[in-house]
Amino acid sequence: MLFAIGIYGLLVKKNALRLLFAVEIMINAANLNFVAFNQYLWNNAVGQTFVLFSIALAAAEAAVVLAIILVAFRLRRGIDVSELKSLEG
Amino acid sequence: MDYVSLTVILMSVSSLLLPIFLFDPKRREREPAYFLGVVLAASLLMIGINTIYPAPGTIFGSLLASDRLGGIFALTTLFVTLIVVIVSTYTKRGPNTPAYYSLLSFTALGMVLLSYSQDLLIIFVAWELMSLPTYVLAGFNKRSMESNEASVKYAVIGAMSSAIILYAISLTYGLTGTTQISAVVQALSTQPLTLATSVAVLLFVTGFGFKMSIVPFHMWIPDAYEGAPIIVSTLLAAATKKAGFVSAIRVLLAISTFYVLTQNPIFTLPNVFAGLALVTMTLGNLAALTQKSMTRLLAYSSIAQAGYILIGFVIYSYGIQNSAFLREASLGITGALFHIVNHAIMKGVAFLAAGLVLLQLHRGDVQAYDGLSRRMPFTAITLSVAFLALAGVPPLSGFWSKLLLFLSVINGPFAWLAVAGVLNSAFSLGYYAWIIKRMYLDEPETAEKVNEPYTYLVIFAVSIGLIIGFGVFPDGIINFLSGAFTNIAPH
Repeated sequence: MLFAIGIYGLLVKKNALRLLFAVEIMINAANLNFVAFNQYLWNNAVGQTFVLFSIALAAAEAAVVLAIILVAFRLRRGIDVSELKSLEG
Repeated sequence: MDYVSLTVILMSVSSLLLPIFLFDPKRREREPAYFLGVVLAASLLMIGINTIYPAPGTIFGSLLASDRLGGIFALTTLFVTLIVVIVSTYTKRGPNTPAYYSLLSFTALGMVLLSYSQDLLIIFVAWELMSLPTYVLAGFNKRSMESNEASVKYAVIGAMSSAIILYAISLTYGLTGTTQISAVVQALSTQPLTLATSVAVLLFVTGFGFKMSIVPFHMWIPDAYEGAPIIVSTLLAAATKKAGFVSAIRVLLAISTFYVLTQNPIFTLPNVFAGLALVTMTLGNLAALTQKSMTRLLAYSSIAQAGYILIGFVIYSYGIQNSAFLREASLGITGALFHIVNHAIMKGVAFLAAGLVLLQLHRGDVQAYDGLSRRMPFTAITLSVAFLALAGVPPLSGFWSKLLLFLSVINGPFAWLAVAGVLNSAFSLGYYAWIIKRMYLDEPETAEKVNEPYTYLVIFAVSIGLIIGFGVFPDGIINFLSGAFTNIAPH
């Protein structure tokens, strides 16, 4: 369900920050999956370990993407991805 | 201590040490490149030794295994990264140069880990380690609108693809209770087919497909390759794309050994691959034909090449379940591996040559290539050889790998794929020959000679040597590659 919301957000939204939120929602959907499967199906801690890794990596990813969006904002005074049209063809 | 773990430790240390150069304003431009160059050369040597005399068993618990398949991919990606580092010294990058090399080092480490990975956990971690630095590298010219746009598009789509892979892994974990690939395959093969399994497999195809530049997931490729600094595009096209292929081989082809996507006979994994392969090569070639910019042309031709490589996936996933086609399966996957290695060299050198033209003439459109043979003779001959090899003209290396791929599917239900592949190759010669004609027959705008640095010439010579060498003596390399695929799946 959360994953579907994330996909929807990616397809519909035009603001780069909202796209980032949508990706974060998808990652959190996967994290919830890991924890839930770990708790109710398999009691082997693999899922919990994976979630630790994935939270750290999602944070790193958010930092990198935010930095890139910040540069985009400084260059263009806006972060609407539909304005990114200088490379068409 | 075996060579693979030594390489991993060495490269981690170098990635973390490189930023130290930031504090020394006098040694910021060149020294980091020399340092990273030496580290990469040493890693290349160690991985090379390990690939020829593999250390048995697994590394770091059961996360990595030093098999030949991983060795081939690690060697290819390290070789490309080394060339990228050498060539990078020709571009001034300002005070952030050490950070640039540090990011390159992180990417290379991610690709090596990905090549050897045996566990979905390490695949995800290495995938991110490989991708995150390349988002920044694509936008490294931070004053340039194009570079930034390439980086925004690449980063958003890249983040989405890793989220998709993560979700697929979570579903796989839910189904099997483990992330060890061989255990996952074993557990899945005993289960009845459910919707969740199909969704997980399709999500893996999608997630890896973004990096492999397969057609419905290719839209970021031309923008990212054109906008990014062209040396970084070389890295993206020739190295990180290959890492996408290795993870697809590790996960999807292992799963394909037992798995049919649905009970419906039309919608099976080989058929999905076959459809993707057909669309990818046709659309890539069609789009390349109409391009005005050299980097975009190379980007679309790179998409088309991914379609040829997928043919090997088709026949492997089909043949492994039909014992009558086992020989074809191994032929096809050998062809795919050979084409991956060839493509890294051919596309890498083509991007480098285009980068040299851009560096010296400050122009990236195809008109800049008019009469290039008189202004930059060595660059022109290198581009011609690379293009002919990409089109699959004998006796160059690209001919043999395509021959293997098409031969493997010619008998059996996917014969139409071989026909489509041959037609596409002929078709692609249309735009390759068009550029070659521009370089050799058209009149240049000005006749003045342009400087071609020695470093570039040495790299060009080595790459042409490899392309022709693989083309004239293909036996040795084919035998070597065909041995790589014995231990991918538990039998």
